[in-house]
Amino acid sequence: MDLSIFGLTDIVVSLKATSLANFFSVLIAFSTFVLLFLVKNFKLAKGFYLFFTLLVGSLFLIVYAADYLLFFIAWEVMSISTYFLLSLSLSKEVLHKYIIFAMASALSIFVAILILYSSMHSFLYIDAQKSFAALGDLEAIVFVVLMLFGIFVKLGVIGFHYWLVDAYEESLNIFTPYLSAVLSKMGVYALIILVTQVVSLSYTLAIIGVITSIIATFKAIQEDSIKRLLAYSSIAQIGYIVTVLGLTDGMSGALYHSLVHTAVKLLLFINIAGIIYVTNRSKFSELGGLVYKMPQSFVLLLIGIITLAGMPPLGGFASKFLIYTSLLDAKYLLILSAVMFSSASAFVYIYKLIYGIYLGHPTNKRLERVSEVPWSFLVPQYILAFVLIILGTYPALVIPEFNLILIELGFKTQDFSSYSTLMSNFGSYNGLVVISAFGIIFILVLLFMLRTHSKVREAKNRFDLAYCAEEPNEATHLHYGFSMGKELQRVGILNLIYKNSVKPFYDFLAKQTLNFAEIFRKIYTGKLTTNFNVAVIFAIVLLLWSIR
Amino acid sequence: MIVLDLLLMLVIAYLTGFLYYGLYRNITARFQKRLGPPIWQSFYDSIKFFSKDESTSHGWMFYLGPIIMMSGAIMTLFFIPFFSSGESFVGLSEYGNLFLVLYLLVLGPLGNALGVGAAGNPFGVMGVTRGLSRLLALELPFYIALVAIMSLSASADIVTIANEQTTMNAFAYPLLFIAALFSFIGMMGQSPFDVVGAPVEVYSGPASEFSGKFLALLMSQGAIFTFAKLVLMVHIFLGGADGFVELLVKTFILFLFVIAFGSIYGRFKTPQSIDFLLKVPTAIAVVGLILATWS
Repeated sequence: MDLSIFGLTDIVVSLKATSLANFFSVLIAFSTFVLLFLVKNFKLAKGFYLFFTLLVGSLFLIVYAADYLLFFIAWEVMSISTYFLLSLSLSKEVLHKYIIFAMASALSIFVAILILYSSMHSFLYIDAQKSFAALGDLEAIVFVVLMLFGIFVKLGVIGFHYWLVDAYEESLNIFTPYLSAVLSKMGVYALIILVTQVVSLSYTLAIIGVITSIIATFKAIQEDSIKRLLAYSSIAQIGYIVTVLGLTDGMSGALYHSLVHTAVKLLLFINIAGIIYVTNRSKFSELGGLVYKMPQSFVLLLIGIITLAGMPPLGGFASKFLIYTSLLDAKYLLILSAVMFSSASAFVYIYKLIYGIYLGHPTNKRLERVSEVPWSFLVPQYILAFVLIILGTYPALVIPEFNLILIELGFKTQDFSSYSTLMSNFGSYNGLVVISAFGIIFILVLLFMLRTHSKVREAKNRFDLAYCAEEPNEATHLHYGFSMGKELQRVGILNLIYKNSVKPFYDFLAKQTLNFAEIFRKIYTGKLTTNFNVAVIFAIVLLLWSIR
Repeated sequence: MIVLDLLLMLVIAYLTGFLYYGLYRNITARFQKRLGPPIWQSFYDSIKFFSKDESTSHGWMFYLGPIIMMSGAIMTLFFIPFFSSGESFVGLSEYGNLFLVLYLLVLGPLGNALGVGAAGNPFGVMGVTRGLSRLLALELPFYIALVAIMSLSASADIVTIANEQTTMNAFAYPLLFIAALFSFIGMMGQSPFDVVGAPVEVYSGPASEFSGKFLALLMSQGAIFTFAKLVLMVHIFLGGADGFVELLVKTFILFLFVIAFGSIYGRFKTPQSIDFLLKVPTAIAVVGLILATWS
């Protein structure tokens, strides 16, 4: 595109439909499509549609931009339209937090882009590598730090996640799935562009990613609010992506996990939106015992959490497998162990997620009267569950597509033999065999147990339990597990995570900024005389500088 | 052919598992100056329970819990070959690898946790909560050791790992083996990491609400699962086995060590066991990994 009509003679901006851009635009389009089912259940302000359309447009522009200038413009539009969408429901403080972080992110990316531009006078991705090589040492470091800061804020990497959890919690239930599934992927996309087009950062990213995933997992375990738990879970999952993104062999794992995470977070957040829609409650301590009231939602959430846990029969295992083998290939052994540890720790919050809502006992009489969510909530979930089951059965279904991207980015392609076998340098596994073996064994065991099934006494009421020869009643605390994970706070070594927070740091930063702003308050007092004096001094300084 | 193979694997694991369980009850009894029950008592119990109905029903999810757990145990068994020659009794292992088996190991317990939750018995959920919290600490040293072994054998394939060992991994990399053993003791539900079921004195643990044939199902899966886990450890650290005698000898020695350990030591509370596992065995495993892969 020629911008000379605007007086910008040597600036070229362009769009390009690469395979990578196509992959991410499929994620955007699919998520938007799935979310549209929900619209009729929410009373939305008119502004929602305007800004949502603007947001979707800017997302497509981000992925199809072939230069950093257009990328930045789209990035800024995305941040601003997200701000307006969030402003429909967020409290003032959280909204301020979001916009300050979003602006800091955008500004630092802007400065970084200008630094890159200064060396070769080109914004294009294809020139980026040469431009970066031509930068001085200090400039290069400043560029990388600013760029990473901007991207990490969007990803919510630990330390930069201060805005994210609150914003997720308070955002509209229809918009939260989009925040987690799509907007965080834009950070992933920006990071892919950075590491493939400009500078390779394998070890730094691996360390940052794994620390993020461990801390976020343990923070998630503590949460009582469902949406906060899922927000931390999103951070942790993004952490896995960041961990492998920089590796020479890790790109397919990162892409696969982006795909799975998009689908699974849409499913989970839509499920939670349904729960909140029906019960009007959003905390584990206020829910419970809904399994027989909402069996379809229960099974769909179950499919979601099996994937989130990375359990074998479904798609989650495929991406985890690629992530693990690529780390093993790179010989990042301690980092691999830490990723697996974080993945195993996630079982606690994953069980809490399904137990706190659907299992155990209803914590409130009103919960005994609820019924299944409307179809408009169930249909998108069925679509997503179908995608996850297909990915589990044919884990290599997307590998040919990924290979196009890998070739384009100049990586080694993933081995491929059949759709059901996912291959790696450290062995392979066959999704079709795993899922059918599990299905057959499950059905055989079920038939074996049903063979002598006689009419068993149904529990009279929910207090009809084996309870140490006593009888529990309404006052007994029976929904035991909603505070699951609290005992981890008593573990000495985990207090490193639980006793520390980024809040004091940001409070300190805010206080220093205000103190700094006080200096300007001395100049800009509002009195005409001070203003005039300052203007005169400034003019003199300028004059002296120009005749220097 | 493959069906016969799988069926035989199942029967062997079922019988051996109960034999080991009977021996376990006898050996612990001797430690406590008792005689203990007949060796096949638990086996007879499970057969008897299979013909009994459960006392109370808590809906379909309650029933599915133990069924998923049994399926998980059988899956684990099928994806671990019996012999390192890789000819007979291979099960489905050629379609999987060690990463898959690591996940299958927790598939059953997590499925059962759903059934426990559906029953709504707080004592059952107490066991699940303890189990999940302990699990995360249990896995860390085990993962570090396994990751090191996988990297050294340049494969995640169990048969390859078993065959790669000229000296057994347990002696070639003793620190890794020791660290993995700590986790293994916990996985086998032995002291000091047995707070999940808390056998004998506390009325709690995942099995609380189950009775009749579902209790029998839980007992049977325990037997199969125990044998599968022992075979896995033998393949990874003790050089695998080429025949039934070698397999039984190696698994039994490992089993004897684990239960002897369990009979001697007292029980950790949940936070204590997490704290211990995240410090001592993890440190041993990290040192072991660095020593083993430093080159």
